[in-house]
Amino acid sequence: MELDELKEKWTEHDKKLDLSIRLNQQLMRDTYTRRAKSALWRLASMLALGSIALLVVIVSLGAFTAKNWPTPKFTIPAMFLDIAAIAALAALNAQIGMALKMDYDQPVATIQKRLETLRKFRIRYIQAILVSAALLWMPLFVVAMKGFFDADVYRLFATSWIVTNVAFGFAVLALGIWLSKKYRPDAGYNLNAASGFLATLAEFEDDHSPQERSSMRAYSPDE
Amino acid sequence: MTTEALQDRFQNLVEEHKKILYKVCNSYCKNPGDRDDLAQEIIVQLWRSFGAFDERVRFSTWMYRIALNVAISFYRRESVRSRHVISGDDQLLEVVDETASRSDEVQLLYQWIDGLDPLNKALVILYLDGNNYQEIALVLGISETNVATKISRLKQTLRQEVGVKQNGTR
Repeated sequence: MELDELKEKWTEHDKKLDLSIRLNQQLMRDTYTRRAKSALWRLASMLALGSIALLVVIVSLGAFTAKNWPTPKFTIPAMFLDIAAIAALAALNAQIGMALKMDYDQPVATIQKRLETLRKFRIRYIQAILVSAALLWMPLFVVAMKGFFDADVYRLFATSWIVTNVAFGFAVLALGIWLSKKYRPDAGYNLNAASGFLATLAEFEDDHSPQERSSMRAYSPDE
Repeated sequence: MTTEALQDRFQNLVEEHKKILYKVCNSYCKNPGDRDDLAQEIIVQLWRSFGAFDERVRFSTWMYRIALNVAISFYRRESVRSRHVISGDDQLLEVVDETASRSDEVQLLYQWIDGLDPLNKALVILYLDGNNYQEIALVLGISETNVATKISRLKQTLRQEVGVKQNGTR
């Protein structure tokens, strides 16, 4: 059986389709107007809420740093948190920018590549948030206690307690990675899937056959 | 153009090209519930992009690009099975006893398409729908030579696979 023979059958079948498919016109109108609006609204809300929340955090941390400038034991953790918040805001806006630039009427290879890059970026972003949460909770505790209750964690708790907690953060992080690798070998699946699909896309855009590609890889000009 | 007029124009154009919608949904989703969801997502995306539709481009090319982009993303999403946007009573795309009218060859073709990766699926649908290499290249964003190479490779694969099946049934 040849593809061109099947193409003829497909075309014959195509002629019959007109009678069998109906578009629910009323529902179509309701659906596209309602859902198109709500999706845009959701995107705009995410952009606004995420950015506003992070801006508030950044400004507050800036004010905290300025107020406690002579005491590095408070300003250093606040500056760490501020840098993390600025990086998170930049990453969030980069994602939103990528999402807004997505025109589905562009060629399939272009859009799929952008979508997969965005997906990979989002996975990395979430991973970074989780890692920083394990590492930054102690500076956050120090700054929050000082900022909200004017309490000095360094005085309330012994230095050894603070050091132990920082070490505990690292330990939790290491343990989490080890456990996920041991019991959830598919934990990195999403990232692998995204990278795998990007590789498939690159191959799809490539004019050469897999055999040609492997022979090109095997070829060395020195031979 | 008023919103009403734009909506009417959009509805007429989609109605005229509804077969694209049908074929893309059928090739990317086996489950009828998922097919309805995909049809709805494609229509929503078409409407969202319709304001920027460039009249110099053929409507079918534009519609293929959007439908295939949405379908590939939908296909790759992991939670497809658990999502039900519309109830079974409110179907956007109604198909009247269509599978019964499919010949064995068309059925075989759908089975073969089902086994392809999402990108080659798009290529085969475009080819079967009678688009020339230039149009296929425009929709997919690859070169015409690449389209020709891939089509010839797919023809070879089909020949081999059908040959294996036929030998197996003998």
